[in-house]
Amino acid sequence: MNRVLVVDDEPAILRLLGAVLARGGYEAATAATASAALAALRGGGLSAAILDLGLPDRDGLELIPMLRGAGVPVIVLSAREDVAEKVAALDLGASDYITKPFDGEELLARLRVALRQSGAAAAQEVLAHGPFRIDTARHEASIEGRALTLPPKEFALLQALVEAGGRILTHAALLEKVWGRAHVGDVEYLRVAIRALRLKVEEDPAHPRLIRNEPGIGYRLMEA
Amino acid sequence: MWRMLTSYGVPLLGIALVTWISSAMLAQWGLASAALLFLLPVLLGAARGGLGPGLLAALAGAGAYNFFLLPPYFSFHVHGPDHAVSVLVLVLVALVTSRLATRLREREEEANARAAISEELAQISRLLAKGSPVEALERARSYVAGIYGPVRIDGAQDGFSSLDQAAFAWAMHNGDATGHGTGVMAAAEWTFLPLSPKGRGAHALMALARPADGHTRPMVQIEHMAQVALLLGQGCDRIALDEERRARETLAESDRLRRTFLASLAHDFRTPLTVITGQLEALAKRSPEAGEALSAARRLERTMSDLIAAARIEEGSLSPQAESLDLIDAADAAFGAVAVPAGLSLGHAIPADLPFVRADAVLLHHVLINLIDNALGHAASRVMLGAALQGGQVALWVEDDGPGVPLAERTRIFERFARIEGGDRAKGSGLGLAIVRGFAEAMGMQVSIEDSPLGGARFILRMAA
Repeated sequence: MNRVLVVDDEPAILRLLGAVLARGGYEAATAATASAALAALRGGGLSAAILDLGLPDRDGLELIPMLRGAGVPVIVLSAREDVAEKVAALDLGASDYITKPFDGEELLARLRVALRQSGAAAAQEVLAHGPFRIDTARHEASIEGRALTLPPKEFALLQALVEAGGRILTHAALLEKVWGRAHVGDVEYLRVAIRALRLKVEEDPAHPRLIRNEPGIGYRLMEA
Repeated sequence: MWRMLTSYGVPLLGIALVTWISSAMLAQWGLASAALLFLLPVLLGAARGGLGPGLLAALAGAGAYNFFLLPPYFSFHVHGPDHAVSVLVLVLVALVTSRLATRLREREEEANARAAISEELAQISRLLAKGSPVEALERARSYVAGIYGPVRIDGAQDGFSSLDQAAFAWAMHNGDATGHGTGVMAAAEWTFLPLSPKGRGAHALMALARPADGHTRPMVQIEHMAQVALLLGQGCDRIALDEERRARETLAESDRLRRTFLASLAHDFRTPLTVITGQLEALAKRSPEAGEALSAARRLERTMSDLIAAARIEEGSLSPQAESLDLIDAADAAFGAVAVPAGLSLGHAIPADLPFVRADAVLLHHVLINLIDNALGHAASRVMLGAALQGGQVALWVEDDGPGVPLAERTRIFERFARIEGGDRAKGSGLGLAIVRGFAEAMGMQVSIEDSPLGGARFILRMAA
């Protein structure tokens, strides 16, 4: 059974998360402080972590690289409206975030994506997510078996989204991957390429179902 | 007196000494060397005492030379042109030396006076730079008063005669030195000097009393005091800057406190709400009552978010980050965040080739959610979003097929807690549209209401493409 570390300073939230995780078939290990979380990490055997950023002893953001370093995917649980903080958490290596008050089913879905991602082999030649398949060696992409003809930037963008496998990628992360470090601020490039990509992959580009945006944060690829 | 006595006496003594030595040594040295020796006391007298002692020494020397050294001895009888030449030389030496010496002395005195003045200005600057600006200014003021007599920089006019008050007003108006010692209203008891450089207009003045001995202050000193006044003016500026800085710091601190308060308020509300909704969610699968409680809890969460948003607008702490946005993304994200009641439909007809807009993604997200919620609260069957390019701007609208908004209500409806009379289906906080307007204005957008072709209201946001 997958063991998930839950870090939050509110006992009631810990109990609630414990119940939600039990419903999803996970075992919860709880920690109320950053130091307790680090102790649990040293204990080993964790498959994932759900982390509240407002901890009494340390900033939750500090824990993300440590958990990632130990190969534990992190879902950030934030009560704050601050978009910048969510982006920072994602850029530090968090797999995803969820805002309080959260929906239990949504949390479990995000957790499944995060776990699948960490289990996937790093350098596969053929990537797949939902209807998409990408053959990186041959530089070919297809949707539901239909070959896609994509210019290099759009191909790189789709590849980045497919590699993330349903995880959200921040605007800056996508820009860096596809256009390079010098262009992390050029969101307009991303908007243009996403629009072009949607024209080719979405049934109705005005009502995108596959490539979804989260305001101020980034894009994620849905399965259908 | 003593100075006078020595300046005349010492050269005369010198003459006596030279006369005695040269008459004793006349046989060995000869007359020419003896005559040269007489130059010494003349130089001494002219250099130390100036023209008078120099000339006296020259005449006395010439007399003594004639009387004691030139034959016939012990008589003033002059019998050759060589003697006239020696007298003339002695007098000329006295004249030239005394002039040179006087000029040197004058220059030295000038330099001393200048050094004293700059030392005084430097001292005032030092005093102004030390410690709290208010105390520093007072220390500098009393230092100046210690040298020049009563000085006031308080700007008050009590104890001034009507002439002084007139001079004060004149100085304020013209930014020029006025009153005693100046060319304007010189009969005043005080001199008024501006504290800021000419051209900036005098905001404040330094008042300097007439000297206690009743003398008129020389123009040079008035000019110096004008410098002093400017320095004290800098001290006043420092006080003003200091007060401004402190006011800014206080403001920033209270701003920070308010922000922290809002953030922790949001956190404190949301934690119990998370527990409530989370537990109700599990129960709602089995019990319809729990389902009702769950939707009530969600409404409470929305109301709380609205209150915090309204507080942020109120205190002006919004700082929109404009980025390039696709309105299709914005509509899609907003649709994902609202609950559509049974019997209603929600859709959009935003063209896929609409230009990108520049807006804050998060604020626009809230604006759209609130507009959609408001429309869902009034719609009969459907709510639609649309957008179009209009005159270089992008217009984005949310419309419904409800009763619409009467013309008279179209401004008032954006006020906080405003609701349309009668037929009210909205269960919101009464803040939703006020937040729409507050956020939209913070992003530089305009909000307006028109009649919708669907029959209800159309809320339009106009923004830069």
